Amino acid sequence: MAAAVKLAGKGYDVALIERKEELGGILDQCIHDGFGTKIFGKALSGPEFAGYFIDEVSKLGLDVHLNTYVKSVNAGGDVKELVTVSPRGVERIKARSIVYAIGCRERHPFEIKVGGTRPAGVYTAGMVQRLVNLYGILPGKRILIVGGGDVGMIVARHLYLEGVESITVVFPEEFFVGLPRNVQQCILDFNIPFRPRTVVKEIVGKERVEGAILVKVDENWRPIPGTEEFYPCDTVIFSVGLVPYAKKLRAIGAEIDPRTRGPVVNEFFETTVRGVFAAGNLVQIFDYVDDAVESAYIAADGVEKYLAGEGRLDNPVPFKPGSNVRTLTPHRLEWKDERPVVAFLRPAVEGRAWIIVRGGNGEILKKEFRQYVRPSTLERIEIPREAISGAEEVYVDVARV
Amino acid sequence: MWMSREYEVLCIRCPKGCRLRITVEGNAVHVSGFACLEGKRFGEEEVRNPKRVVTTTVRILNARYPRLPVRTAEPVPKDKIRDVIEALKGVVVKAPVRRGQVIVKDVAGTGVDVIAERDMEAVG
Repeated sequence: MAAAVKLAGKGYDVALIERKEELGGILDQCIHDGFGTKIFGKALSGPEFAGYFIDEVSKLGLDVHLNTYVKSVNAGGDVKELVTVSPRGVERIKARSIVYAIGCRERHPFEIKVGGTRPAGVYTAGMVQRLVNLYGILPGKRILIVGGGDVGMIVARHLYLEGVESITVVFPEEFFVGLPRNVQQCILDFNIPFRPRTVVKEIVGKERVEGAILVKVDENWRPIPGTEEFYPCDTVIFSVGLVPYAKKLRAIGAEIDPRTRGPVVNEFFETTVRGVFAAGNLVQIFDYVDDAVESAYIAADGVEKYLAGEGRLDNPVPFKPGSNVRTLTPHRLEWKDERPVVAFLRPAVEGRAWIIVRGGNGEILKKEFRQYVRPSTLERIEIPREAISGAEEVYVDVARV
Repeated sequence: MWMSREYEVLCIRCPKGCRLRITVEGNAVHVSGFACLEGKRFGEEEVRNPKRVVTTTVRILNARYPRLPVRTAEPVPKDKIRDVIEALKGVVVKAPVRRGQVIVKDVAGTGVDVIAERDMEAVG
């Protein structure tokens, strides 16, 4: 919606294709507050934040296709062709450029090797959030939450306030991996019990979950023999991370970064397929919805440059994660432009730190101090073009102070 | 007796999670470490009267979904969270509802209204 609104505002002919029956994506189930502090300067809820963009879309009179599934895309040429399926039937849409903003998916129990049975009562956290917040259905009474991520903590608070009988959160790390604000306001505020360095070995139950076998793990997440324990519960909820939903981009030949698991992008969020852009959680998991929206605005700028046929650099400059950096976008600098490059990086360490942008020979191009970095918080840094002009490659490091 | 107390509090107004250092000397509260005014205000309140925005859902009829997301328009005292949730348990509204519309006035005696988080059209 952010990219569509920005492009339509500049006079481009924009169609917005949405698989669901309304706009707003996952924000409809994120009813907690804390959205929009950067863009609006206040803490809105997810639906309120989405509502602002929905209003913009309707004011601009965009061509919105709801309940529409994109079946296939031919993105090879200058004219891209999409085949869509909707209640209106099969349709073809021609476009000169495409912005993908299809978000991420939840990792599920089969990705983290949980043994035992699969009776009723095993959910992902996002699924529970949807059931509770949209349909008012509680998944169970005695809850075990697996994983110390944000969605799990938010769901834990909600279920606690709804008055479930028991609730415990377990995770293999030393402490919660989600945002500290959620640890405070979801877990510590209500004294919800949690067990660090603990994983689920097996789910127990035939028809319905009857419990789970918990086991303690060491710092390398290896189970410690003799620490198994039966935890009685009727519901097991997995909150074990999000992954960009990059399958559709892979299908049209876009290169995927094994670190972010999203597409490889240049500084305008253009994928390796020319004229095809990506924005939001499809590129990497953003912590702020505001940053996700910024990525869409930058992608919209890129679409404009692409449609105007503006020039690209003869030799693109690769951007690479340096020391203590888990993920970095963009992956390369490709366009001639004056605007600073907005880079997002996920630190691998925690504490006071410098973010250092350097060239291939170690020369420092830019340095910025951060009071506190942590792996759970994506860092944003603006790099002026002149700082990197002439560099053959660019590395971004995080150095603890 | 002149007392000075120091607290370290994590700001929860947004995902940035600033670490606030708060010094209380008599009636004066000094906050540092914030990145915005929301954070400064949060720090000042957190040591005196900690407050939270309560978000939950109420029953809605004739709408696309059976639940309408609602929240307190302003943060309410932390020890009133349960009361707010309880006060909203029997509330039933009818679509259509507009974003920002007041659903319950002065919820649980907090002086704060509960508002709708989204538009919900009437269906059928």
